[in-house]
Amino acid sequence: MKVVMFTPGLKASAIGRMATLVVHALRAAGHEVIVVRCEQEALMAQAPHDFGCELLAWTDLARVGAAVAGADTVVYQVGDNYEFHVGCLDWLVRAPGIVCLHDFFLGHLFWAWAHHNQASANAVLKLWYGDAVAAEYFRHPDSAAFIAATAETAPMTEWVAAMASGVITHSNWGVQRLCQACPGPVHVVPLPYNAPAGGPQAASADSRNNFRVLTIGHVNPNKRVGSVIRAIGNSPDLRDHTVYRLVGHVQTDTVVALSGLARNYQVNLVISDELDNAALVNAIDQADVVTCLRWPSLEAASASAIEAMLYGKPVIVTDVHFYSELPDDCVLKIDPDDEVATLQRALERLYHSPELRRTLGARAQQWAQATFRADHYAESLVRMAADVSRVRPALVAIDRLTQTLGRWGARTDLLSEQNTRDALRVFAAVPVI
Amino acid sequence: MKVLIVNNMAPFVWGGAEELAVHLQKNVIAAGHEAEVMRIPFQWEPASRIPSQMLMVRAFELWNVDHVIALKFPAYLIRHPKKTLWLLHQYRQAYDLFDVGQTNLPPGPAGDELRTVIRNADNESFAESRKIFTNSEVTRQRLQRYNGFDAEVLLPPINDTELFGGGAVGDYVFAGGRINDMKRQYLLLEALSDAPRHVKLLIAGPPDSPADGERLRAAVERLGLADRVRLDLRFLPRTTYAEYLNGAAAVAYLPFDEDSLGYVTMEAALAGKALITTTDSGGILGLVKHNETGWVAEPQAEALASVLAEACGNAQRAATRGAAARALWLSLDINWPHTVEKLLR
Repeated sequence: MKVVMFTPGLKASAIGRMATLVVHALRAAGHEVIVVRCEQEALMAQAPHDFGCELLAWTDLARVGAAVAGADTVVYQVGDNYEFHVGCLDWLVRAPGIVCLHDFFLGHLFWAWAHHNQASANAVLKLWYGDAVAAEYFRHPDSAAFIAATAETAPMTEWVAAMASGVITHSNWGVQRLCQACPGPVHVVPLPYNAPAGGPQAASADSRNNFRVLTIGHVNPNKRVGSVIRAIGNSPDLRDHTVYRLVGHVQTDTVVALSGLARNYQVNLVISDELDNAALVNAIDQADVVTCLRWPSLEAASASAIEAMLYGKPVIVTDVHFYSELPDDCVLKIDPDDEVATLQRALERLYHSPELRRTLGARAQQWAQATFRADHYAESLVRMAADVSRVRPALVAIDRLTQTLGRWGARTDLLSEQNTRDALRVFAAVPVI
Repeated sequence: MKVLIVNNMAPFVWGGAEELAVHLQKNVIAAGHEAEVMRIPFQWEPASRIPSQMLMVRAFELWNVDHVIALKFPAYLIRHPKKTLWLLHQYRQAYDLFDVGQTNLPPGPAGDELRTVIRNADNESFAESRKIFTNSEVTRQRLQRYNGFDAEVLLPPINDTELFGGGAVGDYVFAGGRINDMKRQYLLLEALSDAPRHVKLLIAGPPDSPADGERLRAAVERLGLADRVRLDLRFLPRTTYAEYLNGAAAVAYLPFDEDSLGYVTMEAALAGKALITTTDSGGILGLVKHNETGWVAEPQAEALASVLAEACGNAQRAATRGAAARALWLSLDINWPHTVEKLLR
């Protein structure tokens, strides 16, 4: 099979790292792959992951067009970051294909895209979420308010899913919405990831017998760093023996705010900003516990949680969405409605029981290694491509019929009317008698 | 040439349009071509199902066909590079019947959207047709008024002319054709009760529903007309129908706002029978000229009663008007060879 895969190529992209694994797995299975870097042109200068195959820039219209024309399937790795995924949006309209959806919430991607496509953006908002949502969408004062207001009502997931011939998502959360929006098949496939350095599975206590808690990734409010600080600070044992480290990009005002909170709670907070891969692996190696809290939860799956499990670390997660689907005996789950108290108890259990840390980490590692596999993901992509090619004629037919109705002056109401939809079911894979 | 005649189909319903399609096929073949009739199912209730059926027709792809002749909505939406319309019906409930409140389209925006879709689809189909004929002047005017397309009137010929040779002026008025409220046979019964006793009436044809037949029987009973009215309510053999028509003093046909000249009227004219209709009967008025080919009355029992009395009271006058009706019909030069030639031109 000839595959063209659009993905961020730069090393800073975790999605690019995941895509690298899938590309290698596809090639190992005998498929031909061309990778199209989809980040902004300014980022193209950064060194890419080692995909081991031909790399094109999405802006090279002639070569990408030729590659797409000769492909059996086109795959788009889509996440909620416009700078990293702008090329996907540009090509997805011209060459519909399979979308691997890394974030369920795509509001930031949409927001930035809308800046260049205001009229289309308003039409998209009205189509999927109605006039009221469209009227308010761009009026939120800051990112937190924007996420709070739109995460449930207008996550923009439908916008991307509707452009896809099929969607691969990485947890069952939100699948119903995807099925309603995507005209083709929707599959849930575990996100592949790796632990390249394969470091030690259990950290040993440092010279001061500290308990080391780690949070990885861009320090956003939904990673609940403040709650972790409060949970540690509320517990005398934890407060006196814990070093809480943040690894990932962080805004200056966030540093100031979190540092102040940590001082108030007398928590030893270490903010490390972004690290290269080797340093990140070392940070994980050194951690006793990794917290992967999310509220609200916006991702289809969490690479950092998977990575921590692959390294055999005990992981604490919020009991929602993707994280709820992790086995109960491999992670500790926190109630988002009683976050600080349940998090404090979980951390105390782990602090007092090295054995629990070891067994939890070992089980997580074993399960993660069997689950988050690139070869399985590649096989799923091939199956999805076959499914998409089967349904494509029906999709083309439906598209043509709806275009005809639109040309005749029908609005959305009529196109979605029950009797019209029932009639279009003759194109369903299984005839309805 | 391979000619495909495309018409609607409502399963187990057979009427004038179906007869027309069959005879068109027969006469296209007689003109030296190959011809078939394709009937496409259409169910207009509920109205919300209409768009999907329009799409179905639009999605058909025809092969091995040189020329398409399409007759009705939505069958005429079918795509073909050489398509001629012989327009019998648009979806009138989206046009003139909508304007007078006789529509099955829902009120408000939903109905407006359906009308828009039907009108735009019609316009698209009309624009891509090589030529548009209509079956009557009424249909032509409606097309012009609502869609802005011009057309040529091509009146349907009589299918079996040999049956309508005429005969002596009888002592009854014949009312033939389908029995239903729109054809208003009940109005003739009410008129008969006001008419002199020498006036007799023969109503013959298939009721659209059992209730339609029962309504007439009840009226005969209620009005005490049993000795002056004969009801033969069934699908008649053509020879029986022709026998009734040929033996009448006059032929009455009172549909509300009919599009065409009406087969009953055309056959009566060919048979040299005086014609009776009402002022609101639409296309029928193309053949019925008051005091020339027959009588045109207001659609009320009292007005019709005097017409019935006159038709049955003066055989000479009835014969004269019948002859005039026949002359008018023949002057129209409506025959199948001419019709086929025009449709395939």
